Amino acid sequence: MSDALSGIRILDLTHEPGFLTGKVLGDLGADVVKVEPPDGDPARRRPPFWGGRPDADRSLLWLALNTSKRGITLALDRQRGRELLLALAERADVLVESETPGTLRARGLGWETLHARNPRLILCSLTPFGQTGPRAGWRGSDLTAVAASGNLYSTGDPDRAPVRCSLPVSYYHGGLEAAVGVVFALLARDATGEGQHVDVALQAAMVMPSIGTAAMFRMTGLRGARVGAFMSAGRTVQREIWPCRDGFVSFALRGGPARVPGLFAMVAYMDEHGMASERLKAVDWKTYNHNLLTQAEVDALTREFGAFFATKTMAELYQAACARNLMLAPVNTAREIVASEQLAARHFFVEVENPGRGRLRYPGAFAATSGQTVAIRRPAPRLGEHTVEILAELGLGERDVERLRAEGVA
Amino acid sequence: MSALFTGTTILEFGGGAAGPIATRYFADHGATVIRVESRRRPDFLRILRLTPTTPGGLDGSAHFAVLNVNKLSVALDLSRPEGVAVARRLALLADAVAENFAPGAMAKWGLDYASLVQERPDLVMISTCLNGQTGPHRHYPGFGGQGSALAGFNHLTGWPDREPVGPFGTITDSLSPRYAALLLGAALLHRRRTGEGQHIDLSQVEAGIVCLTESILTYTANGEVLERMGNRSRHAAPHGVFRCADAGGRDRWVAVAVHDDEDWQRLVDVLGRPAWAVEPALATTAGRQERAAELEARLEEWTRTQTAADAAVRLQTAGVDAAPVEDFGDLHDDPQLAHRRHFRTVEHDVLGAHPAETHAIRFSAMEPRLDAPAPCLGAHTEYVLRELLGMGAEELERLRAAGVLE
Repeated sequence: MSDALSGIRILDLTHEPGFLTGKVLGDLGADVVKVEPPDGDPARRRPPFWGGRPDADRSLLWLALNTSKRGITLALDRQRGRELLLALAERADVLVESETPGTLRARGLGWETLHARNPRLILCSLTPFGQTGPRAGWRGSDLTAVAASGNLYSTGDPDRAPVRCSLPVSYYHGGLEAAVGVVFALLARDATGEGQHVDVALQAAMVMPSIGTAAMFRMTGLRGARVGAFMSAGRTVQREIWPCRDGFVSFALRGGPARVPGLFAMVAYMDEHGMASERLKAVDWKTYNHNLLTQAEVDALTREFGAFFATKTMAELYQAACARNLMLAPVNTAREIVASEQLAARHFFVEVENPGRGRLRYPGAFAATSGQTVAIRRPAPRLGEHTVEILAELGLGERDVERLRAEGVA
Repeated sequence: MSALFTGTTILEFGGGAAGPIATRYFADHGATVIRVESRRRPDFLRILRLTPTTPGGLDGSAHFAVLNVNKLSVALDLSRPEGVAVARRLALLADAVAENFAPGAMAKWGLDYASLVQERPDLVMISTCLNGQTGPHRHYPGFGGQGSALAGFNHLTGWPDREPVGPFGTITDSLSPRYAALLLGAALLHRRRTGEGQHIDLSQVEAGIVCLTESILTYTANGEVLERMGNRSRHAAPHGVFRCADAGGRDRWVAVAVHDDEDWQRLVDVLGRPAWAVEPALATTAGRQERAAELEARLEEWTRTQTAADAAVRLQTAGVDAAPVEDFGDLHDDPQLAHRRHFRTVEHDVLGAHPAETHAIRFSAMEPRLDAPAPCLGAHTEYVLRELLGMGAEELERLRAAGVLE
């Protein structure tokens, strides 16, 4: 086992939208250095805080997605701070940032400058709409990026406004897309010897999450629609999320070879509890085609499945699903996820020691591999934790760093 | 100039969305991606909307077509040893193998990593499924809708007083390909440096949970379960989606996010500083959070009088974060996506000219390309066997006559 990205140095100037980029690259073994202003990234001031105590090193958003990084504070609005950043960039392979387009250039840290100082450096910029184009200057955030992607319009109930996920999924999609861009640029650099500017947009990254539906518009004419806990299928809408005794489960009436055994097994399971009608038992799932049903037929099926689910808990139904290969899943909250037997068997959760604050249970590796280590390498950095260590790599002593701190540069 | 992955071959088993989207990153930069398919057990997307009258049958799926651009298709009967033998020869020759079958399927054919690596020590292979290749629930058979539920996305999406809805489009099917492309890219880099291959086990549920680490920590650190909260934010107000004047017979909306007190003053200016808005109590986020419902109603009174595009432009001009809520049709007229050439047209044998999308990364020194449409089932069987395996006409004929080539 070794590290895919060992020896790769990454400067991470991102705010919340880009946190995941550096985190996954750090999990793959890159040396990721988080660069923050002396008063810290704004995420450090955002609740919820660990133990409810407002503290720059206890913000759960900060702690969540900045693991596997070291941290340095540098004031990039000061000449000396910019000089130090350029000195770090000369020794780095990648710089990742999420400022409004043009911000770095205005500070004398634009692509042309960085490229001139270090032709091998890769600059990756993650922004709401991209570096160029008519909306490049627009402000954006998760809500507005998802709104402009087509995905929001079709999420939610028909009688209410389109609705987003309460955590920022566009930052996850975009953050991962940026990490892919960095790795592709590293592969390309092996051949060309040169870095390049990688431009990732949240809006564009949120189009594929509609799984091709956007591209299909020219063929289907379908602009999308909100159908609540349902899904459109053929001429009907079919329930996808069902109430059960203590929460909700996800289950689809859609057929096809992969799903047929599950539909048979579900009816058999219901029958054992005396809750499958003769009519349901008579359905031939092998020839069943969800695209050809009428809404009345869908509704009749829905009543029977729904009545059964209402008698069972999420845990009971999922246990049955795993034992009987039913395509049904609980709508998990963090509570069920942390208690998962499957995740425990795979040692997914790990305890991360946060110096001075204690241990915290984290989701661990995003993949298991036989050949490269994927793991949380270190806790999220405390504010300025590695400033002395990292500036020492540039030949600065502790005294120099003290002076920089006194001057408000570090 | 050749593309980044010119000369790189990836063999793909499986189907649906999660697997095929991942290999597109490589295909769009010049890799030869070969799908091993079956007519007897077709890709889920080839039959998702299939009816007896679908033009082109298995080749007429628009959904398959938009996701599988730039790939080749080889149709083999894997229930026959000769079919498996051909697939094995292709796998041993490929730079990487990607599969998203249920765990155990590849082993049944002797096409799993443990078997292939015997003959190909530097093999790079990724297996992705909902729950991963190990553990008591590895054989659990769900699709993306179930992955989204298991990973916690559905619970966090929707209105607090209603049932959860889940983000449109089974989110683990679109997050996991990004992880897969990252892992495959890193594995190719790793092999280039060390000569070592590897097997990657990507659980779509686990990878999704890593994204939601903030929700997990909120529970493990503080014992609190995060709940869905409609479009509101714990950190900003107003933060929502507001009805605009209908246009084209459709409901139109604008999304508005007021992140701090300066944003609020900008918004108040755009609204023309009405009496209700200049109240000192609303000058702080905390004050606005307290009266969020009232502010949302007031703001919607204003947005109702104009089109979504006008409202968004007016707000953006004043420096307020806002965007029109676009539907799938609107995206094809979106000036920013057009500038990035997000959609590009390919010519499909059955469906004709149609747009497909590429990824969201733009490189200063290399351009993604959509050169060929999604393949009809088995369209490249002979080509691939002849060109890549060097198979002669006689063997091809024998395999075809025996029904091994579908």
